[in-house]
Amino acid sequence: MATGRPSFGTREGTSVQVFDGFTVVELADRRNQFIGKIMAESGARVIQIEPVEGSPGRWIGPFADDKEDPNKCLDYWWYNTGKESIAIDITRKPGQDLVRGLIAQADVFIESTKPGTLKGYGLDYDSVSAEHPELIYLSFTDMGQNGPWVDFEMNDHAHLALGGPMGSSGYSDPKETPIGGQRNHAYNMSSVLATHTITGALFERLSSERGQYIDISIHDVVGISTEAAVPYWLWYNQAALRQTGQHAAVKYRPTTQIMCSDGKLVQVTMPQMPLNAWVQMVKWMEEVGVAEELSDPKWRDDFYRADRLRNGDEIHEGIIRLLSKVTSEEAFHRGQALGMAWAVIRAAEENMDLDHYKQRDYWQPIEHEEIGKTILYPRALHTNDLLGTRPKSRAPHLGEHTSSILKNDLDLDDRTIEAMTKTGVVR
Amino acid sequence: MTSKPQLPQGFLTGTRIVDFSWKTVGPWATRMLTPYGAEVIHIEPPHRPDDHRFEFRPVYGDAAKNQTAFRDAPDSPAYYTTPNFSHLHAGKLAINLNTRHPEGMQLLEKLIATSDGLSENFSGGVLDSWGLGWDRLKEINPKLVYLSLSGYGHKGEWGSYRSYGPSAQASSGLTFSSGLPGKNPAGWGYSYMDVTGGWCGGLGMMMGLLRMKRTGEGVYVDYAVTEAAMAMLGPFFLDYQVNGRPTRRPDFPPGNRSIWPEVAPHNTYRCAGIDRQGQDWFVFIACETQQQWESLCAVMGKPELLSDPRFVTMADRRANQDVLDDIISTWTAPRRRYEIMTLLQDVGVIAVPIQNAEDRVEYDAQLRAREMYPVIAHPEVGEFEMERYPPRLSRTPADNHGRAPILKEHEEYVFGEILGIDSQEMNRLREGGVI
Repeated sequence: MATGRPSFGTREGTSVQVFDGFTVVELADRRNQFIGKIMAESGARVIQIEPVEGSPGRWIGPFADDKEDPNKCLDYWWYNTGKESIAIDITRKPGQDLVRGLIAQADVFIESTKPGTLKGYGLDYDSVSAEHPELIYLSFTDMGQNGPWVDFEMNDHAHLALGGPMGSSGYSDPKETPIGGQRNHAYNMSSVLATHTITGALFERLSSERGQYIDISIHDVVGISTEAAVPYWLWYNQAALRQTGQHAAVKYRPTTQIMCSDGKLVQVTMPQMPLNAWVQMVKWMEEVGVAEELSDPKWRDDFYRADRLRNGDEIHEGIIRLLSKVTSEEAFHRGQALGMAWAVIRAAEENMDLDHYKQRDYWQPIEHEEIGKTILYPRALHTNDLLGTRPKSRAPHLGEHTSSILKNDLDLDDRTIEAMTKTGVVR
Repeated sequence: MTSKPQLPQGFLTGTRIVDFSWKTVGPWATRMLTPYGAEVIHIEPPHRPDDHRFEFRPVYGDAAKNQTAFRDAPDSPAYYTTPNFSHLHAGKLAINLNTRHPEGMQLLEKLIATSDGLSENFSGGVLDSWGLGWDRLKEINPKLVYLSLSGYGHKGEWGSYRSYGPSAQASSGLTFSSGLPGKNPAGWGYSYMDVTGGWCGGLGMMMGLLRMKRTGEGVYVDYAVTEAAMAMLGPFFLDYQVNGRPTRRPDFPPGNRSIWPEVAPHNTYRCAGIDRQGQDWFVFIACETQQQWESLCAVMGKPELLSDPRFVTMADRRANQDVLDDIISTWTAPRRRYEIMTLLQDVGVIAVPIQNAEDRVEYDAQLRAREMYPVIAHPEVGEFEMERYPPRLSRTPADNHGRAPILKEHEEYVFGEILGIDSQEMNRLREGGVI
């Protein structure tokens, strides 16, 4: 049985991965798959138990060549790099026994079923921890294990709505809809917090040699994710206005998305600018002929500039004039040279051409024989060889490792495996 | 002031972190350790306290030097505590230290030598300029876990570039993936990548501590917030490479509709009422299954939609989303948002109001039942409610009663007990502007 004791050496500089030697078993679900991915990218062995019809994550899309195929779902590919797949019907007793056998060999078990579901299968924490007290058992669910809304039907976007991100995000028009970002953000952010919790529990177990139960509610996590919104309500009863592309605030503020000469937007921050940077900024404005009144020496006074930044629009208007005369890339780099945290509003894929991330070894090649192609994956979440974070291999095909896991991990013989396959207990 | 801080007992009891964090992303990364008993020492420069203690009051140029503490009344005591600071630094210790003074640097090196972790979110190059690059840090403490949080990471040609949450969101593609088609991106109405980005950094620190405990080795985590942000968008990169489909295209982003999975309805719908800022109230509704669609039609009293050729299959409903959304909006418009939620959730349909902060605190029965707003006692501002740190661990629970430190609160403990400086020497250091 895995104990979490050190299972690797201590040589300085070796590519020791943080989760080396740990086994994670996860019940496939759209909510939790990012947790296993992060752990697999840092050395854990992650076994995903799928239903025989495939993980719900295999049917999301998009699909390679837009043809629906559980082994060609790109969303699934992303969230399941480096895992092994075993397909088991856990609604049946023989399937439940297999899951119990796998959990007995695991350091971490992750599930996202509705509360009470696994108790009916004898797979709840109390049942499995009696014989395996070292197990770290995470229930990662929409609402946690208790509360009046525990049976709510949710999806990722519903979490962004109920949990607050959409309440703060949208447009500077009180009639316009709030907006939630595209692509599993509630699940992602909650998974990061959950992985932190698991890592802490493993840290603790190195001393105590005991596991524990963890209850994480996605709604709880998303609910604290909106920065100062809730603290401001709790202290001041202040409610905020949604504003295009920037923080919700009590009053409307000037736009921070500014159009450049190449038709691209740059996200600006209103500068906390020391005098020498201000002088350079004005010089830049003068070069392109838009400085106007900002050339006046009175603007070199820190107090005057700070006051007008808060109470006037001259600096903001000057920056709009400036950026209308330069390309977005020039605005970005020259703004950065002046200490401005400006950034081009890029489409995600436009980052793939940038030298900076190539220099950081961020993009990792993974071969996909399904499409006869190697494609580049971002690392999740840290570009760090000492932690070991990098995707190791493509996502598994449905039930790709069923036989090998049954044979090697559960000691089943070929005949038994064949019978289970025929009767649909496994695939 | 008291000397030894009363920290909760947890699995990080005895773990000491030197915390040069400011703004939001850095403070969050280390704030995740305090519920488990870690001793996180937040270091502020003398004469210029953490700007979150001032709640966005002006800190420009020379004006920063004249920051003054809050006073509730002209003759009341001054204090340096605000909602944001209280939230981000809960459970930490606070000292002042002048790192521009040679003696200040000596004290810092001694503190690092006795610590397990160091976290900072300065721009790239700042610690190097102090003579505290990774090579030097390793010399001081070979077991040190060093987390640097920056927009673009320290390595690479943009290593010195600056970034805040909104810039990281813009640069990564996160801003671009949130909005209505044909309009500017709506982006995120808060610093998503300062909060979630801070959590990703905090995970790097926790992973580093676990690795250190297993191997005895320190590690330098050069964490780039924009890289974590791109990892939040992973499938877009695959779709671009495999199907040649960029996100910069006319129908993207699609507002609150779902591109994948291909389901409809999946949108926000205006309902009765406005919030206290005059913004319309909306409810989000989605039907991912045929059963949910049938239940929605039943609750709306529109069974005829089930046989309407425009809506029979999911593909039909996707193809006719505009008219479908109009029908649902007509039904929601005169109704209250929580009433809609209850009616539809009772029959298993995904339906929730778009809640703002007030809603989550005052009307969210689930968050209240889960005790998400524990009361914190603070010596300067009294008792107040604060957001709870969410994980529930059965055997080593997170503590949720840590409060943010008042200014210089733990000077005696850190300089006296940890570094062994006597009171006479401490006075000399104070007078010399070192602490």
